[in-house]
Amino acid sequence: MLKFIIRRTLWTIPVILLVILMTFLMMRQIKGNPFRTTERAVPAAIQQNLNRKFNLDKPWYEQYLLYVKGVFTADLGPSLVQRNQNVNDVIKEHFPVSLKLGAFAMLFAIVVGIPLGILSALKQNTIGDYLSMGFVNIGYALPSFFISTLLLYFFAVKWRNVTGLPTNGWGGWRTWILPAIALGLAPMTVFARITRGAMLETLQQDYIRTAKAKGLRWERVVGLHVLRNSLIPTVTAAGPLLGYIITGSFIVETIFGIPGIGKYYVTSVTGRDYSVTMGITVLLSIIIIVCNLVVDILYGFLDPRTRDQRT
Amino acid sequence: MRKRTITWAGLVIALAAIVAASAVGATGAIGHANRAQTLREAIGAEPPSLDPGLATDTTSANVLLNIMDPLVRLGKPPALKATPSAASSWTVHGKVVTLNLRHDVRWTTGAPVHASDYVWSWLRTISPQLAADYAYQFYGIKGAEAYNECNPSTTNCNALRSKVGVKALGKWKLRITLNSPEAWFPQQLAHNSFLPVNKAAVTKYGSHWTEAKNIVTDGAFKLASWKHDASLTLVKNKKWRGAKHVKLQKIVLTILTDATTALNSFQAGHQDVDSTGLNPADIKAQRKHSYFHLWKALGTYYYGINVKNITNVNQRRAMAFGIDRTQIIKYIAQLGQQPARGFTPQGIAGGPTIDKNSYFPAKAQVSKAKAFLAKVANPKTNIHLYINNSPGHINIATAVQAQWKEIGLNVNIKVMEWKQYLQFLGPPPNSDVDVYRLGWIYDYPDAQNGLVLWTCGSGNNNTNWCNHKFDSLVAKGSQTQNASKRYKIYQQAEDLISSSKGDVPLIPIYWYVYSNLIRPYVHGYTINPMDQTDYSKVSMK
Amino acid sequence: MAIDERLAAERAGKQRQASFELALEATAGDGGARGAGAALQRASLWRDALQRFRANRAAVIAAIAFLVLLAFVIFVPWLSHEDPYAVDFSQAYQNPSWAHPFGTDEFGRDLFVRVALGGRVSIAIGFAATFAIMGVGITYGSISGFIGGKLDNGMMRFLDALYGLPYLPFAILTLAIFGTVNFWTMVVALTIASWFTTARVMRGQIITLKENDYVRAAHAVGARWYRVLFRHLLPNTLGVIIIFVFLELPGVVLGEAFLSFIGLGINPPKASWGTLAQDGYGAYQTHPYLIVIPSLMIAWLILSAFFVADGLRDALDPRAREF
Repeated sequence: MLKFIIRRTLWTIPVILLVILMTFLMMRQIKGNPFRTTERAVPAAIQQNLNRKFNLDKPWYEQYLLYVKGVFTADLGPSLVQRNQNVNDVIKEHFPVSLKLGAFAMLFAIVVGIPLGILSALKQNTIGDYLSMGFVNIGYALPSFFISTLLLYFFAVKWRNVTGLPTNGWGGWRTWILPAIALGLAPMTVFARITRGAMLETLQQDYIRTAKAKGLRWERVVGLHVLRNSLIPTVTAAGPLLGYIITGSFIVETIFGIPGIGKYYVTSVTGRDYSVTMGITVLLSIIIIVCNLVVDILYGFLDPRTRDQRT
Repeated sequence: MRKRTITWAGLVIALAAIVAASAVGATGAIGHANRAQTLREAIGAEPPSLDPGLATDTTSANVLLNIMDPLVRLGKPPALKATPSAASSWTVHGKVVTLNLRHDVRWTTGAPVHASDYVWSWLRTISPQLAADYAYQFYGIKGAEAYNECNPSTTNCNALRSKVGVKALGKWKLRITLNSPEAWFPQQLAHNSFLPVNKAAVTKYGSHWTEAKNIVTDGAFKLASWKHDASLTLVKNKKWRGAKHVKLQKIVLTILTDATTALNSFQAGHQDVDSTGLNPADIKAQRKHSYFHLWKALGTYYYGINVKNITNVNQRRAMAFGIDRTQIIKYIAQLGQQPARGFTPQGIAGGPTIDKNSYFPAKAQVSKAKAFLAKVANPKTNIHLYINNSPGHINIATAVQAQWKEIGLNVNIKVMEWKQYLQFLGPPPNSDVDVYRLGWIYDYPDAQNGLVLWTCGSGNNNTNWCNHKFDSLVAKGSQTQNASKRYKIYQQAEDLISSSKGDVPLIPIYWYVYSNLIRPYVHGYTINPMDQTDYSKVSMK
Repeated sequence: MAIDERLAAERAGKQRQASFELALEATAGDGGARGAGAALQRASLWRDALQRFRANRAAVIAAIAFLVLLAFVIFVPWLSHEDPYAVDFSQAYQNPSWAHPFGTDEFGRDLFVRVALGGRVSIAIGFAATFAIMGVGITYGSISGFIGGKLDNGMMRFLDALYGLPYLPFAILTLAIFGTVNFWTMVVALTIASWFTTARVMRGQIITLKENDYVRAAHAVGARWYRVLFRHLLPNTLGVIIIFVFLELPGVVLGEAFLSFIGLGINPPKASWGTLAQDGYGAYQTHPYLIVIPSLMIAWLILSAFFVADGLRDALDPRAREF
């Protein structure tokens, strides 16, 4: 088991290097001058000064090596557009915000999704089931920008005297509610469906039916089995869900005015801020890779057969 | 089953409790919570930098001009004359400008601001190591361009540094030697790139000296906190030389990049001023309110023409006459902008004189346009119009496409993303571009700043138009001190673009305005044509 | 027997390829005059699947809804006499009415036709990107699974690395590299980071199917590799492929809407549902229909595709339990 963990962990290093290389090469392909922010052309001498300052006049492989060295010493370089900030500063200030938002979204997804799934499984094929699954499916299908807009308009503008919710910002607990719901709605549907499926499967097992028929306490047994049955699909879904949270935060942060990393990412790509773009992409990739690693290790625990055949 | 129902009911009750609690704690009544002298304003972007040498946008500029004390401030429009601020007076003898500094301007550390501070700051700004974008503002000063162009890895630049025409004569006199006389130089000193920086802070904190805990300023307000991408808080500098006239105690600038969110915030009573701009769809409704304000601006929105692709001047004239500026302004821009007769805005000092012969019409003159087009043997009927991907520009281009269709031209609108677009336009200009859209906001309130764009060597001239007579007129005008004589020379230059005998290398569409929303209890809030606001004049009633 | 098959499936990955085999076995064992031979088994399998699909009410409704949507986007622009590109400011911002069932936009253009045209673009991009994803994923996965051994190992490692790429940032970067957003650049951008799961599933499928007796038999009689691959293996994965098409489609359409909303949409005056929604966002307080209608269209497409996929999954593999 330990060998498996070590082997998988070591494999992440070349993966990270590959990701850095791909991001680096892609950024180099994008046309556009990071230093020209307005219609004014940048005079040639000043352009040279800027290129020199940010090492953009060096050949690409030198820049790549400098950058890799930076990544492994946790120095992601200065921002090209925010001239008084480093990428590290940017990440330190904005990433925790997105993390918090993501965590609240997941909390909402779990707290609402799981009971919903359980309930609709228990009331399978009744109006309750159809309504809740209908709600769940619509929540999945509506684009996140639409949901954010709806929530913002109704709860923070039209009915603000009742709800007292703010339209934007990131401070007190009131500012967390709407964005968390907007971002957490889609994962909520995933959890609801997984739980419902696991619940239904368990409820149809013979021994449950027997216990019910005998009038025994079957709820606890059901609970345990539902948990186990939903664990693997949840873990499988965790990867895509994480990806969704990371990318979904772009829009929610923009609409709700939250100073998170997602909004920053979009601005840095459109602004050609190479170092910030690469820094955030590398950060996100590392997170995804680490999460995949954890998932794989969890699978190793949950199902020993899978780890034997994956090298 | 019962347990499940109980759990479910519990969840519902909990949710209801949260909603009720927030209703109880509801604030947000418009205006009542705010009679203290605290101004809450929504701004549209995070300032990229609060280093005077590195700040290139108006958001940073505005903050800087309020936390620092500029040498001069601009007076009333349209003249926008330089009025004394940190400099109490100055003299101009040909190329030499000598400024006398006030003795009571102090850093927040308590130390006074001397002439040597300015010298050190300006040399820092034009140093090649800092790579400041706005170093070119200093190119009018003797030796500045040479120093800025020096490559420190190959040569020792110190010799060039000492040759730059900025000298401190004692503690309170600053002498500047220009390359040639520039009548507008005192006005240019109002720009944020000429602000001083505190040597001790910069040396100690390096690139992080602009963080709120490190920054040292000398103006009417202090930077109390800066939460990046979220908000900036300014507080009154009680030790400022004019502090007793400053009414505001605190200014909270919230960064809201989404205009709709900002409008919602304003309407919900969380902001007193909304300077983020309005979505085109909201303008019509918001214009009716008394809190909606418009301010004249010094800037032009124009379509440049690639004269190498559209070679016949009559076709260019046809295109200029085919555009219905009034319709564009009324239905798309909607801010009561002025249809542009010529390139130089009317509102600039000397504007009426300069634009006197400019003749682009406010409404489309389709028959006249067709007549012009008829004179062209082989007109280019398939036109590539390049714009960047902002909704406003797309809408205007769509309207122009329809308008030019009426005179027989087919327009292909090519939308590009902003940075890509700028690089695509050049220099050197891309040959696929027939018409492109850009705007120009003036750096200082003199027509020269706009006219110089169209000189042969300008990096901002993407039209391939090169007229040496125009170049010499612009050069001559910049050296003429007498205002009315200067405006006449500029008029001749402008004529070469936009009069009936002009070459029409570009089609100006309208002159900009700024708009914002200001609650009635905010007094004294104005935006001058250079997009500057002086918070020391603002108060809350 | 069944348990062995299931173990084999889990060994191959995280999918239920084996249950597909189970279904095959089950229907074959259905008695009657069904002979041996892959071809006959397949025919009855499809017929059974269609029956099961038809019995699933939700799936049928979804399929009908999907077809209605397709009909809408195909026929409305064809039949309508409104010019979707005409600029007429006097008609701007009209609420929905009989003349303009979906209202008009800021230029006075009829939204009904524009939504249909936008649907053409969105659905076309959706299908094109989905097929591209299928193409790349199937090719990669088949090669990896079929050849096996060290190449398979290497290819899967590389795929692991690619999994580390966040999907939307890379789509954004790709569009930024192309510089302009049109149909093809959007398709490429959406494909570039979404084909990994398909590749992995295909590989798993091929690996499991490879172990089957009839494949071994084919090898034994000297069949070439391409005959085995194209005649025996790939056709048996058809069911999974079809399901995946309807599963990937929503993701791709949402991705396109998303990218359009942050400003990386298709160039005007062409429109997609995403760009229409972005246009309408600025006016949602005064003219909400401008954003509501494109968003509902997107939801309609996604819901119908999803339920069709669900129905297909149940039809082809009734014992499977997916999330």
